[in-house]
Parts: sequence; structure tokens; C-alpha cells
Amino acid sequence: MTGRNPETLMAESEENFDFLFKVVLIGDCGTGKTCIVERFKTGNYVDRHGNTIGVDFSMKTIAVDGKQVKLQIWDTAGQERFRTITQSYYRSANGVIIVYDITKRASFSNLQRWIEEVRRYTASNVPIILIGNKCDLETEREVDFEEVRHVSQFIPEVLFVMETSAKENTNVEDAFFCLAMELKRLHDSSDVTADDDDEAIQLGKSKPLNSCSSSCNLT
Amino acid sequence: MSDELPEDYDLIVIGTGFVESCIAAAASRIGKNVLHIDANEYYGDVWSSFNLDALINLLEQRPEASLRNATYRWHDRSTSTEPISPSHHPWTREALLAKSRRFSIDLCPRILYAAGQLVQLLIKSNICRYAEFRALDHVCMRYNEEIVPVPCSRSDVFNTKALSIVEKRLLMKFLNGCQVYNIKKCNDDTLAFRGKTFQDYLQSQRVTEKIASCIMQSIALSNVNTSFEEGMERTQRFLRSLGRYGNTPFLFPMYGCGELPQCFCRLCAVYGGIYCLKRAVDNVSLDADTNEVLLSSAGKTLRAKNLVCAFGQVPSQIASNFGELRYNISRAVYITAHPLGGEELNKGGGGVNMMRLLTDSGDRDAIFIQLSHYSGTCPEGLYIFHLTTPAASNDPADDLSPFTAQIFQNNEPEILFSSFFTITSSTFSHSNTSPIFCTDAPSYELDYDAAIANARDIFGRIYAGSEFLPRAPDPEEIVVDGEDPSALSEHNLPDDLRSQLHDLEHSTQLIDIGE
Repeated sequence: MTGRNPETLMAESEENFDFLFKVVLIGDCGTGKTCIVERFKTGNYVDRHGNTIGVDFSMKTIAVDGKQVKLQIWDTAGQERFRTITQSYYRSANGVIIVYDITKRASFSNLQRWIEEVRRYTASNVPIILIGNKCDLETEREVDFEEVRHVSQFIPEVLFVMETSAKENTNVEDAFFCLAMELKRLHDSSDVTADDDDEAIQLGKSKPLNSCSSSCNLT
Repeated sequence: MSDELPEDYDLIVIGTGFVESCIAAAASRIGKNVLHIDANEYYGDVWSSFNLDALINLLEQRPEASLRNATYRWHDRSTSTEPISPSHHPWTREALLAKSRRFSIDLCPRILYAAGQLVQLLIKSNICRYAEFRALDHVCMRYNEEIVPVPCSRSDVFNTKALSIVEKRLLMKFLNGCQVYNIKKCNDDTLAFRGKTFQDYLQSQRVTEKIASCIMQSIALSNVNTSFEEGMERTQRFLRSLGRYGNTPFLFPMYGCGELPQCFCRLCAVYGGIYCLKRAVDNVSLDADTNEVLLSSAGKTLRAKNLVCAFGQVPSQIASNFGELRYNISRAVYITAHPLGGEELNKGGGGVNMMRLLTDSGDRDAIFIQLSHYSGTCPEGLYIFHLTTPAASNDPADDLSPFTAQIFQNNEPEILFSSFFTITSSTFSHSNTSPIFCTDAPSYELDYDAAIANARDIFGRIYAGSEFLPRAPDPEEIVVDGEDPSALSEHNLPDDLRSQLHDLEHSTQLIDIGE
């Protein structure tokens, strides 16, 4: 047989991972969320306008402390535009990345509202990282990094703040790597390894009916 | 990207309820330019789930449209004259409200057949990746004033103490008979029951009274008026869904049914649909030249080839197309500190259980759903009881009183909070040339079959010949090529993938035998 999993159509090599974490990206419209993911996932920068049609989430596996950590990174599908992100987007997220644009004060001022949404819809204590994107545009800077650092000290969920540039590939990989490391550390240190979640069912992973037994085969 | 709302659309959908969201997703999926708006600040309209504060707010508003006759009551300890028992729970009104956000209370809760239409649609369209489900722990029934489990799996049947050996044989024999039954190939035995009721058939099969209750109440979900054919069809539906995900043939969406419309909305957005909540429509008119719909909203005129609107959010200009108001379903929501039934039904702190109730005369029925914290809809140690019955009057509490009496006996389980309301609807008369369509309000059904049929019908009338929610490719299959990521076509696939795709399609067909 070929080296692909018939359920996911993915090559088996990509299937080998020790941890899988769902990471959701939020933040105001136009802060460069999609570009950050694109840069991390493919290494490319695409100066694209409008939404990425049909793309839901991206997967990338990175090595952390000798373990394969697979990140499933979800993008907003443009639903942040009129602040209409669905609650279900946040469900079962292991980590959250809030992106603001260092050249737009308003994108940082909305931080509190994003934090509120995270607190409302994710499980308690989901770690957040804060990313100030477009740090290549130093001359247009409207948000001071020290100020962000200071503010974030008062938000216990925020693990760290980092400025990135998807365009110039500054800190993008580091941001995801640090988050992955932290998620793995949290996972290692927690005794209850998602016992409740084990019973949640994902559809589409059932067996074909002919290989299932059911009570009606009794005589 | 600008924050300004574009003005021209293929389709504008008003209301983010289940049916509207299905249509929005289906249209967006085939490349239509969709604007999806809702006057409320939350997704789901009357199909939504609410935390406790939000539910109380909603009930207090006494809205005029699809939710009516709403009341609620706190059953405070302080108002009771009974002595406080030693097992006194700490759940005061304040304690419940402090946990408000841990609640996700459905206005219209549903239970999904594991091989039912919605599950098939979610798998087929790949929308299933946005949701998680919990297999129901138990299907229960009421027999001799007691709540007992209905055996669902093979091991259940062998292990249950509720049935004698003889009864187990009889039940299996009956179910085997149902499974091989085919409406087109009736033998003399079954042909005789055409036009008769399912109950007639049951009685002829010489099953015990207990087995008959078990089948009528919980497996065939029928009442005394259910026809033979319908009863057989429902029994088969139950059997088809067995052995797929859990011990029972039923699923419940984690965090409540209000998640489901949002999953469809997410797909719509992924394919470019634009979302605006808290956006009311002030006026609707038709452009006489183009037969396009003109909407004015927040001082802006929006234009669309078609408009789909939820019953509860219809602008007054088209409200005249509606018939008389109809009461669809009567609902009750209870919060309790104890589950219903004994330990066997509530292992590990309470099951997610379903029970069908019949009146003594057997001509009216209700669906009872018990949700524990395992469903993600309430805090640990509390339980939500949902009761739903077809509305017979404008008094939901009265409609439900025969069933309430069956559940709560001698004040147990003790109620902390109760609420009643009616879901209303009306028939929309659609003229053939009109580009405006209106969806149905939730009706009385266990699964979403009627709702999906409604969405398919409207979609089919607007986009005749187009496929309803074809499979959305997984991210790995999307080849991002420069600026235009295009969906995967089979010809671009490597050989090994292509053959596996065919295998996959083959196995999907096996799963879809329920259609």
C-alpha cells in the first residue's frame, strides 16, 4: 500500500506526531493574521487582499524537545470583520494568538474585547500569546512595545508578547515555536490529560457500516 | 480590506438559524456571493443556545416573533416550607447565576441519529470538522412508574436486568423481523398490516407489555396513531444508527445544538460569505426592472438576486405573505441538582440521556432530554432537563403537564429553575416569480430531517441543478498556487491519492445507505 492514511489523505510521515494542539488566531481585520500563518506554514509571503477562499486551517509539525508537535492553526475566515466570530471557532482551542498591527493603534485598543471573547468561549486558562505584526514598518509605528509589555502584565492568560513581521520573516517561527513549547509544557505538567475530551466524538471517523456490529445481528 | 459592506450580492440571508445557515453555506460553497445578517447579536436565532443570564434576558423581553408565552421561575429554598434535607445542595439562585457562562441552554434541543440525515450531511460536506459530539449514554423509558434503560447494544440486551430471558428473545426476534422488513417486498404476514397502526402490528407479535412499551416509546418513537409503515420505518432508522459511535444510536452536539448553525456559518465564511450580526433590516422592496431585492439597513441600500429570511426576522413589508400564527412546539427547561433515574442510568455523575414520554392514552408524546456536564452545556453537579411536545395551546406549561407529572414525582428530582415557552411559526405563501423565500420555524422532530429538507428545497428552487453542500476539501488538499488557491481537482492528484479517493468514495457510499 501507499504511505497515505485513507482518512486524512495525508502522507504517513506527516501523521507521526506526539502532540496535536489546536491554535486559533484572532485580532482585528487587516492585522496580517493570514500572512503570518502563510509565512509559518510555507515560508512564503503573499501580499494578498481579501479572504483566503476555502482555506480553513493550516497544519505544521515542529520538533520541540525531541517530540513532534503538530499545530493545527485556525484562521478567522474573515468573520472578525464585523466582529462575528462564532463561539464554535474557539471551542477546544489549546492556545490562542491575538494579532495586532503595530501601525494601527485601534487594533491594539481592541485587545480587551478579544480577551473577553477568549475568556467567554474557551476552556479556562487557555494560554494566549500576543503578536504585534508589521514591525518592519517602524516609521509608521503607533503602538509602543514597552506599553504592550506593561499592559500584558495585567492579563494573566498572556504568556508573552512578541513583535513580528510576516513580510520580512521576523520572529514568526519563534512565536509559534514558543507557543508550541509552552503548550507541550502545560500538557506535560497537567495530570488530567483531557479525560473528558476522550469521549467527544468527531464525525467522519466512523467505520463503514459493514464492519460494525450491532445488536440486530443477534438471533 | 475595507470595513465598508459591499452592496451587491447573489444572496442575502436574514437570520442565522439552522435552516438559513444551511442555505447560506450551500450557496457560498458553490461560489455565490453571500451576505448573512441577523438582527440579534448572537448566532442561531431561535435555534441558538444561551447561557443562563442570556436566557433569562430573552424570556423577559417576551419577544413577539417566534418565541412566545415565555415564563420562568426560581424554585428557591427559602420559599419552601419543607425541612431542609441533610443532602442539601449549595445551589442557590446566586450560585447558579455565578456559573451562568457554564450553561448552554438550547431553545430547540435535538438528538441526532448516528446514521441520520444531519450526520450524513455533516460528513458529506466536511462540516463535521467544526463540531464535536457526545454519544448519548442511555435511552430510557418509563415503565410501571419507573425510569428504566432501553437496551440498545447486543451486550446491553444480554446484561440488562430489566428484561427476562424470554423478553430478550422476543425483543431480538421482533427487531430482526423489522430489520428484514421491506416496504416493497412485503410477505403475507406484513401485508396484512398495511393501513393499520404500528400498535396493531406490535400486539399481533405476541410481545409482552414491557417489550411493547420499549418499542413504542423508545425504539419506534411512535404513539397509538402511528401507522404500521411509519413505525417500521422508524424502527429501521433506529437500528441503522446502532453500533456507530457509542452505546446508543444517538448523538448530541457538545456545547448544545446552537453550535450547529455556527458550523454552517463557518463554512459559508470560509468560502467568502460576509457576516454581520446585530444588523436589522428597515425596508425590503423589489426592483421592478431587474426583479432584484433591495434591502435598506443602517442607512445603506443592499441589492441581491435572492433573499432568504427566517420567519422570526421577516421585515414588515413581506409579513403580509404569512398566514395565521401557529403554535409549533411547547417547551420546558428545568435545571436540577439531581439526575433523573437511578445510578445505573447516571454513572460517573450523570448521563446524557433521552426518553420519550407518552400520555396515558398514548395519543400525545414528548421528548425528554437530560444533559449533564459531560455535554458541555451545564456546570458539574447540575442537570438540564429539556421537554418538548407539539403545541396544543398557547399555554406550554399546560401542554406539558402530563409529562411533567411523569418526570417529577414526590418533588424529585428537586427543581432549581424552570421555564416554559412556545415556538411559533406560520406558513409563508411564496409566489413563483418572487426572489424572496422564507424558512420554516423549528417544528416537532427529534433530528433535523424536516429542517434539512426545508433548506434543500429552498436551495433547489434558487439554484436548480446545483449540488447541495458538496464536500469541502481538507486544507492539505488545497493547492495554494500563487494568489489563487483553487480547490483540488481529481486530475491533479498523485496516483496513490487518486486511488485512495475512490476507496474513500466507496466507503462513503456504504455509510450513506440510510438515504
